[in-house]
Amino acid sequence: MSIIIEPFAAPQKKANRLKTSSLNNKLVNSYWSDVFGAREQGRKVCWYEGVAINPLMQAADMAWVHGEAWSALLAARNGEASSQAAAENGAYMKELCSYARTSIGCSLVANNRSGEASGASFSDALNTGTLAENCPAPDMLISAYPYCSTGQQWDEALFRLFGKKVPIFNISVPWVWGNKKDAVYLGGSEFKEATAYMVRQLKECIKFIEEQTGKPYNWDRLYEIMAYTKKAGQLRMEAMELCRVKPAPASFFDWTTSLAPVNFVPGGPEIVDYFEQVKAEIQERIALGVGAVPNEKYRLFWDGIMNWNKIGWLANKFAGWDASMVAGRYTHMGFWHEYESINAKDPLEGMAINYLVCPINLSAPLMIEEIIKLCRYYEIDGVVLHAARTCRAFSNPQYLIAEAVGKRLGLPVAMFEGDMVDESFYKDEIVNSRVEAMLEAIESRKRMRAA
Amino acid sequence: MSIETLFATLEQAAEKPLESARAWKQAHGTRVVGSFPMHFPGELAHAAGALPVILQENHDPITVGHGMIYPFYCGYTRSVVDQVCKGDYDFLDAIMFGDHCVQVLGAADVVRAKLPGTRVHFYQLISSMSDPWSLGRARETFLNLKEGLEEMIGHTIDDEAIRASIKLFNRNRQLLRELYDLRRSGAAHISAKQMQLAVKSSMVMDKAAHNALLETLIGEIEARAATAPAGVRLYLSGHFCQAPKVGVLDMIESCGAIVVDDDLYHGQRFISTDVEEAGDPLDALAGWYLQRNLKVPCPTRVDQNADWDGYLLDAMKRSNAQGMVVLMAKFCEPHMYYYPLIKKAFEQRNVPHLLIETEHELTALEGLRTRVETFVEVVKRRSSTRRAAA
Ligand code: SF4
Ligand code: SF4
Repeated sequence: MSIIIEPFAAPQKKANRLKTSSLNNKLVNSYWSDVFGAREQGRKVCWYEGVAINPLMQAADMAWVHGEAWSALLAARNGEASSQAAAENGAYMKELCSYARTSIGCSLVANNRSGEASGASFSDALNTGTLAENCPAPDMLISAYPYCSTGQQWDEALFRLFGKKVPIFNISVPWVWGNKKDAVYLGGSEFKEATAYMVRQLKECIKFIEEQTGKPYNWDRLYEIMAYTKKAGQLRMEAMELCRVKPAPASFFDWTTSLAPVNFVPGGPEIVDYFEQVKAEIQERIALGVGAVPNEKYRLFWDGIMNWNKIGWLANKFAGWDASMVAGRYTHMGFWHEYESINAKDPLEGMAINYLVCPINLSAPLMIEEIIKLCRYYEIDGVVLHAARTCRAFSNPQYLIAEAVGKRLGLPVAMFEGDMVDESFYKDEIVNSRVEAMLEAIESRKRMRAA
Repeated sequence: MSIETLFATLEQAAEKPLESARAWKQAHGTRVVGSFPMHFPGELAHAAGALPVILQENHDPITVGHGMIYPFYCGYTRSVVDQVCKGDYDFLDAIMFGDHCVQVLGAADVVRAKLPGTRVHFYQLISSMSDPWSLGRARETFLNLKEGLEEMIGHTIDDEAIRASIKLFNRNRQLLRELYDLRRSGAAHISAKQMQLAVKSSMVMDKAAHNALLETLIGEIEARAATAPAGVRLYLSGHFCQAPKVGVLDMIESCGAIVVDDDLYHGQRFISTDVEEAGDPLDALAGWYLQRNLKVPCPTRVDQNADWDGYLLDAMKRSNAQGMVVLMAKFCEPHMYYYPLIKKAFEQRNVPHLLIETEHELTALEGLRTRVETFVEVVKRRSSTRRAAA
């Protein structure tokens, strides 16, 4: 008989998740149900990767499958295994971006059905555990990947796997690096040029969409959609900013489950309503003094992409340590967070700006300044860096971030490996020991301050 | 100079590139501009009077670099981070680069952070090659680079100077291609290691000096009667930013094989395409950038008009190769995306290939040897069955 010792096992406490999250599930399910039925209604389906260009497609009455969102959905609903296995059988190696592998696996499966529409409804596929097998095949591909070369190559792989028969459009997103001395966040001559270049490409992309749908583009519809998107973006930012209070009423984990409405759910009154309700719940919690964790002792910042197989697990795990994950790069530095720059009557420039400053597309010095601002604003005690093994885009600047928050704010960090949708890279014992060490460092810092 | 001495000179530069660049700087007082692989032209930096040097993976164990980059990165980026952390790049006047493989971008941020006094500039080359604006965008990028260089040297670079550099670089590529022709035809026995030294030294040496060495070398090789080397004819494919370890190349050729051709970055990929010498030099460089990918398709670009798998099958035929060894740097994502297509195409045509993953740390060479020996046997058997069937 073996004895299993768990020296670092966190005490069993549960995160106090936002109730409005269940509304998010409804929005997500109805969105996917619509996508699954799109072809039957004569609408075109576009697979796309990268930044949230879905408003461009929505205005043209198309349906869209965001590869990352789809892979995350599969992982969150335990349905990723079959497509990942299909990719592996096709010689796509485990070190490749797991989102891409999952999506490529779906394309291999879709190819086996000769690229036909899935034939299943979303609810049937969900209930029978065959989501991956039934992802609706694309009529076109659009690649709009910021920073990460892997994203663009993933789309090219799909293009080739579909026998070069599905038309593809590439938007090249320039990295915000800053050669010139005037380079600042959202400003400087290079940023201006990059924005103009993006706008040019978005216009070209709209022409491509017109060609594919055979219909003139509905600009008025786009303005309408962007007005809702801007409002939703604003409400979300306001709700997050309210979480500065102690205890923080919602956590990074809540905000990750609230991304769909600002990432791929159609822009309309529903997404505005959703964030209104979220904000109201936050206000209510503040009034009652309710926190995202039952007993907030530490306030943490999450750097890196989400580990979708583990959201609930991690939320509870940190609650067990009395640690509230108050903010994160992924949630707070992207997804229409620069809503103020959007002019709903002429939205392309504002869209371009939001795409350019998404959470991976800033070079380290600019990104670090934004992270430091957030750490100060939310009075963070320590930074957790989730090194997604197959997402180097997110992992790239993490040593520099760790160094900067240590030197400039005196914050301890915990770095551990995980992944977006491949569970096998996550090692619970390592997470436990790294986080415990960080919490210990926070404690000793507090003791020193008190002395 | 004997062939051996000439290769020894090339080896000196190829294996100790920073030392050799530093010595050049001291001797000639020129600036040294480092760049990352794989598509960035050195011509403009040369026209600005600087020595362009493509920064190389070195052979030192990664030590301090561990504190700045995760272990799940390709050997090239880990080695670059390690070198900058050790202060190896301190003597460079600037680092200018244009490729955006996500891993190299991670390294670039560390490089800039560790060299606060150095100009570390990024001029992002469009990697989507078949868009109507690809050519125009590439030209805009080269114009920005030119302006960045002009700012560094404090005066403009005239078109004549760029054209002269283009000519010199074209000559270099032509001479290296002559070496390839000599090897492919069997007129000369040039080992895989020697070929690598010739190309790699070109990435780090002054071009005029390199041309002079190559001219002498080719003369010597042509003068020496060679017996066509025997062995299974292999094609080497892959391995981008970093040169395959010489130990691996030697091992392959010690298993009864000869390498007859390649599409390695430290090989044909680097020298495949010349730049138009007449006309507007920035137009010419932009044109070169796009044509290059049609000549030898690169998996770090997306190009609807190029197929790497088809290119490789044709290239093997052209060089009369019997089998292909794919050298893949571990964690190299561009390569991992395209390998499945190659595997499928080769299996469908029944052309044998062997995948070898390489790491910065050269371990398990003996295990690899067994795999290569088995592969060479398979190729031999298949070739003789084919001959019998023909
Ligand atoms: S590696 Fe990360 S950023 Fe790149 S495509 Fe995959 S998930 Fe996206
Ligand atoms: S292309 Fe491959 S070898 Fe080059 S930096 Fe990227 S991952 Fe490394």
